[in-house]
Amino acid sequence: MLKRFLSERPLRLPHLRPYVPRPSDPSIFWFNSERDDIVSDVVSRICSDLEADRGQLELALNDAAFHEIRRLEKQRDDEARDRLGYWRSMIRRVGKMDDTEQRRVLHSIVTNMARDVAGNFDPRVYRFARQAVPRLIGGVMEPRRLSKDLLAPAPKVLERVLRVQGDVEHLQALQSRGSLVFVPTHSSNLDSIVLAQALEISGLPPAIYGAGKNLFTNPIISFFMHNLGAYRVDRRIRVSLYKDVLKLYSQVTIERGYHTLFFPGGTRSRSGMIERHLKLGLLGSAVEAFTTNRIRRVDRPVWFVPTTINYALVLEAETLIRDWLTEEGQARYIIEDDEFSQIDRWVAFFRKVVGMRGACTIRFGKPMDPFGNEVDGSGQSMTPTGRIIDAGGYVEHRGQPVVDSARDASYTRELGEVLANRYEKETVLMSTQVVAHVLFRELVRATPGMDLFARLRLRGEISLEREEVCALLADTRLRLLELERQGRVLVSEVVREDDPSELLDRALSFWNGYHDSTAASLEGGRIVLRDPSLLLYYQNRLVPFAEDIATPEQLPAACEIEKLGAHR
Amino acid sequence: MSLRVGVLGAGGFGRALALAAARHGHEVTLWSRAPRDLPEPIRTSTDMDALGACELVFVAVPARHAIEAADQLGEVIDGRHLVVHVSRGLVGAELKTITQVVRERTVCRRIGALAGPLVADALAEGRPSGAILGTGFPEITAMVREAIGGAELRIYDTPDVIGVELASATVGFLTVVLGYVQELGAEPGTLAVLATRGMVEISRIGETLGAKESTFMGLAGLGDLIAAVAGDQRPESRLGRALALGAELGEAIGELGAYVEGFEVAQHMIEHARRNGLETPISSTFVAVSEGRMSPDDAIHALMERRVGRE
Repeated sequence: MLKRFLSERPLRLPHLRPYVPRPSDPSIFWFNSERDDIVSDVVSRICSDLEADRGQLELALNDAAFHEIRRLEKQRDDEARDRLGYWRSMIRRVGKMDDTEQRRVLHSIVTNMARDVAGNFDPRVYRFARQAVPRLIGGVMEPRRLSKDLLAPAPKVLERVLRVQGDVEHLQALQSRGSLVFVPTHSSNLDSIVLAQALEISGLPPAIYGAGKNLFTNPIISFFMHNLGAYRVDRRIRVSLYKDVLKLYSQVTIERGYHTLFFPGGTRSRSGMIERHLKLGLLGSAVEAFTTNRIRRVDRPVWFVPTTINYALVLEAETLIRDWLTEEGQARYIIEDDEFSQIDRWVAFFRKVVGMRGACTIRFGKPMDPFGNEVDGSGQSMTPTGRIIDAGGYVEHRGQPVVDSARDASYTRELGEVLANRYEKETVLMSTQVVAHVLFRELVRATPGMDLFARLRLRGEISLEREEVCALLADTRLRLLELERQGRVLVSEVVREDDPSELLDRALSFWNGYHDSTAASLEGGRIVLRDPSLLLYYQNRLVPFAEDIATPEQLPAACEIEKLGAHR
Repeated sequence: MSLRVGVLGAGGFGRALALAAARHGHEVTLWSRAPRDLPEPIRTSTDMDALGACELVFVAVPARHAIEAADQLGEVIDGRHLVVHVSRGLVGAELKTITQVVRERTVCRRIGALAGPLVADALAEGRPSGAILGTGFPEITAMVREAIGGAELRIYDTPDVIGVELASATVGFLTVVLGYVQELGAEPGTLAVLATRGMVEISRIGETLGAKESTFMGLAGLGDLIAAVAGDQRPESRLGRALALGAELGEAIGELGAYVEGFEVAQHMIEHARRNGLETPISSTFVAVSEGRMSPDDAIHALMERRVGRE
């Protein structure tokens, strides 16, 4: 009961006197003073669209009742006990309601949904978090340094764990001119925390983001998320109205100039591969925000920042790859019982990355307009040859900016393609991923004709001479560096600089002692492949490049690996 | 309200598009490398800037000139422009479509591909015909219908842009094959089997590139092929007939006086199919025959003796 209470009504700190933002504060500091206005804007846009057509209105109410009854009947919990009666009664009455009654019910449902979604931003929690979180991470990682870290400036503590790459100055220049929409790859539930810290380190403003309601079940995480601007997304709700509320909430906040973060992959990459098929709903909301501002002649552009989050060690790797490999995994969208919910795994994870150079790299790609064009320092869109163009032209029809949802849907699909391509180019390949690829490719070579699942059962049965692995690593790295030179991929600092033997030791050290069973281990001068599933997970990041970095002898194995990406 | 229509390329199809748009009462500008004489009110220009003032630009150049054309056009257009191409080819071994080339090399995003059994003469003279327009942007369909569509030209549309482009490009090659066997005196039934199974073969390859099979079976694929077999005098059909009469491939292409896009496309398609583990019996056999690596009799035996299965 308490868990549900906290999940539905996250704690807020009492205000003795309202906080008045200063002009130099980031835009999100104004959020609370605009929240009610945002909610009513969302409600009025949805209701006015539907109220014009009684058939559509009745359909929307029936759809809401039908899907909620179905969900709550399955849930059979406290929420079901409280709400099932309302929806059953509503679905019985909806056909008999007059227009006024239907509009009142619609307004009430949409308002409740929008209020449930809307976040909060408390500058006191923000200031506390920006000081405490880095020290907490540092303290867990290196307890002996805790006393020093308490005195050190916060970013210094984080720099040991996190590397930030990309043209940060460009983003700093844009942040006061329009809305930045950060669209990162998604590997772990740590992503939003890590990215928030990367923004902090880089002197970039905090961003509003959507978080699954399942993450709000932990009262501490819920408190921080809710008070740092996160809006809640309940993925169990299938109601069309709810999806409209989410999209419009995102659209309205972007229109108003709030910087936003969402994961176009929709959910964490189960396989570890770079996302290829992106969910377009929220991307579309940002494109429509651009159009709406243009039509209203509001000079507040929208820029997308493709971002990759690259871990040498992934907190939830075992659960994610298991999920991908099982039939159940195809349908299981929300995982509530993985490593993210286990505090001992958090401690083990952060302890493991202690002192490991290159544990996590965040890379901010070049910002682009909603149509995939690069922008200059002042945010103006450019052609491939550097000519400045007016991005507003994309939403014009015969010289006038117009709303056209079919057109914007096409722009969004194209934007999804551009982002997927940018992810490949902006991905920073980490030590564990490169080593895992070399080892997994050898596993495939050693087992011609065997299917994937049979290979994954070969735990501890395949081993290679350490020197042989080092030689293979040296060759693969050379080929990766050539791809990097061509601008097709990036490798981490340690992959570029370590000698192959150090690279191998580093990867083994990351895996050993954190995962339940290590991916590979050194035994009597040989590298033993201990857990092919984990190797598969880490090596999957290299799937798009497998053929390009293989020798002619390795090519058949590389082709098999590349085929794994067919349904990425 | 009249549209400002631009046409890039003054070949047969470019001129036909310009004449059709002018007949519909639009302001038409045709760009070509060298000065051209076209009837009033069509304006001709050798200055690419003239196309920048148009709302709708038709690109009517062969695929081998697509990159250069896109680069030049890219200097004068922006997000306001709508671009539609009529090329029947693909670019390079990666089988890049023309919309992909325009997308990569210009900032234009509203792009479409016009294809199907539409031939230049019918379009220019306003004889009844039909076409298919592949585009994800409904406003392009509306504008192209306004520019050249109407009672004499029915323009259907589909969002499967890549399907339209691949079907259109590969029909050219199948037309060569059918021209060849027609000249050898093949029965109508033989032609029908070759045409239908050939289309299935290329649609499988198309699917691996993201196209829909149904597009190959529509106007862009089978519809276009029927027009070719019915004798619309395409250069591809004449090439097939010349090969059947014993001409060398290079010599036959040279004598045509027209650029045939289908052959190069076929070779790249076969290579793509091989990498993806797909069989291409009809295409591979005909390429071997045209290059003199197999005799016509051996080719027929090889095709007829293949294991036959469910359709």
